[in-house]
Amino acid sequence: MKKMSVFMLVLMIGLLGAGSALADDPVRIGLMAPLTGAWASEGQDMKQIVELLAESLNAAGGINGRKVQVITADDGGDPRTAALAAQRLSTQKIVAVIGTYGSAVTEASQGIYDEMDIIQVANGSTAIRLSEKGLKHFLRTCPRDDEQGLVAYQTLKDGGYKSIGILHDNSSYAKGLADEAKTLLDKDGANIVFFEALTPKQNDYTAILTRMRASNPDVVFFTGYYGEAGLLLRQKMEMNWPVPFIGGDATNNPDLVKIAGNAAAKGFRFLSPPVPQDLDTPEAKAFMESYRGKYNGEPGSVWAVLAGDGFRVVAKAIEATGSEDPGKIVAYLKNELKDFPGLTGPISFDAKGDRVGDLYRLYEVDAGGKFVLLP
Amino acid sequence: MDLFLQQLTNGLAVGSIYALIALGYTMVYGVLKLINFAHGDLFAIGAYLGLTLLTTFGLSQYLGPMGVVIVLAVMVMGLVAVVGAVLERVAYRPLRQAHRLSAVVSAMGASIFFQNALMLVYGARYKVYPHDILPKNAVSIMGFEIPLVRLLVLLTSVLMMVALYLFIQKTRIGTAIRAAAIDQRAAKLMGINVDRVIMIVFLIGPALGGVAGLMVGLYYGQINFTMGWMYGLKAFTAAILGGIGNIPGAMVGGLLLGVIEAMGAAYISIAWKDAITFMVLIAILIVRPTGLLGERVADKV
Repeated sequence: MKKMSVFMLVLMIGLLGAGSALADDPVRIGLMAPLTGAWASEGQDMKQIVELLAESLNAAGGINGRKVQVITADDGGDPRTAALAAQRLSTQKIVAVIGTYGSAVTEASQGIYDEMDIIQVANGSTAIRLSEKGLKHFLRTCPRDDEQGLVAYQTLKDGGYKSIGILHDNSSYAKGLADEAKTLLDKDGANIVFFEALTPKQNDYTAILTRMRASNPDVVFFTGYYGEAGLLLRQKMEMNWPVPFIGGDATNNPDLVKIAGNAAAKGFRFLSPPVPQDLDTPEAKAFMESYRGKYNGEPGSVWAVLAGDGFRVVAKAIEATGSEDPGKIVAYLKNELKDFPGLTGPISFDAKGDRVGDLYRLYEVDAGGKFVLLP
Repeated sequence: MDLFLQQLTNGLAVGSIYALIALGYTMVYGVLKLINFAHGDLFAIGAYLGLTLLTTFGLSQYLGPMGVVIVLAVMVMGLVAVVGAVLERVAYRPLRQAHRLSAVVSAMGASIFFQNALMLVYGARYKVYPHDILPKNAVSIMGFEIPLVRLLVLLTSVLMMVALYLFIQKTRIGTAIRAAAIDQRAAKLMGINVDRVIMIVFLIGPALGGVAGLMVGLYYGQINFTMGWMYGLKAFTAAILGGIGNIPGAMVGGLLLGVIEAMGAAYISIAWKDAITFMVLIAILIVRPTGLLGERVADKV
């Protein structure tokens, strides 16, 4: 009997080996995210979402019968830490890495991954230059700043505002977007009465609001992050200043309303790729159901969901090509993948690895503090 | 003129919070010659503890708004004081005889520890105080409106600073603190328990920092685990500006820093607000190397 079972075991191993040389060797996909530091909330959401998707993929049989293993590294939201994280991940036999959030952070890791022939799919790094370097293995699921600048310009123009104030926070992302919108508006001869930066994390913006009020804009376009936007809205209401605010995509976070309060946030508009809560596709619905089931809440922001989309396109490409060859996978993603049903709408990539299609929508906060997608 | 007065009140409100935090830096420096880099994080802990106490006990059901604030302030002060005392016992006392740099490194380590502990306990997302705790009315003074809460923040800080000043100047313990600040060894020879004095300093400083954290939470509503860094830096600057080691100096420095920031933003440039602030600091230090109210300490150290 014992001999028999040993024989069976040997036979089984032999069969498995014959069937697929790597059958119980998992597909390894890296995740580089800011798990600590100022963007820790984004990074932890990214990790939760990618792990959730990997679990459900494994439960459904994995990629071509092979399990997926996610290997996470913390970039701390800091370029130097990111370079170390990239070096560590590069030694872990990963096919691709998902992430990361900040543009400067992604930039510090790009070269390292490219040299090691590892595919990188960034999820929140919107700086234009990242995909203009001709790196073979770089893609991103988020749109670029120039696209958002164009949409912002269009929105401000359609609003018919006579005088416009623009406020950024000196981060390279927010300043880039503000500059982009200003350049386009200047070409049109629009009247920009205010163009300045605030310092993030200072809680008190009354000095800036008082100053801005003196220049009397019809609308203020704020390109910074939701934490500051929430405080600006709240302090603006306390000053009884009714000017409308429009925000960039970094304000798309439900915490904005918590910080500002419903009354102050009401009527605030912002540009953003749509979050899965607002999409009618079966993928978005299924994702939201499993997310709520596991984490008991809504995803914090669209950027973490875009990391999930990065994971899904990579898994799809490995499945479709049946290979872990980075060249083949990238070629598939850039050339053959068309309108893949993502969590944030259809996904296709152009030759530079940028996501194609007009992704931006205009949102407005209603009286109950909900984000409503404007038609 | 309107703009000027508006910016003045903006600046004073921020400045009074800087001043409260600056007191913690300056007291510790006065006695130990140590920059307690973890002080900003004690301030953040105060803000988080305040939120926890507020939401778990549902205080606002039993008490009026002022009652809630007073009870909260007392509880937060007590708790943060204990954290401060433990910090002193664990991170600083073992290094009392060591080189001064070792203590500074230990302080930075404590700061990183507190910041990450807050993140792990409370999560990385912004936390928000309930909006309905404090009244939203504004008081009309000389023709323009100032939110009531803003006045309260200013008043509370000034009251606390005056109380501290009297405590240091008029009581026996205050005298002991001043003696230990001048010369620890001589103080010991006079029968003062210097270890106890240091412990008291580490109770009072963090208590004031904690209450400042609570006020920031109540007033601005939003708190974040990294907030201690920014406020700590500003308060440290305020302490230097006023003359580190000097208690009225910390108050003057804090208020002045807040006003300079607001005026810089109003009349020069918003983006250059911090640069202007530090330029003023440098200018003052060139003229008065010991800060505005600092004593001459050339013979010390």
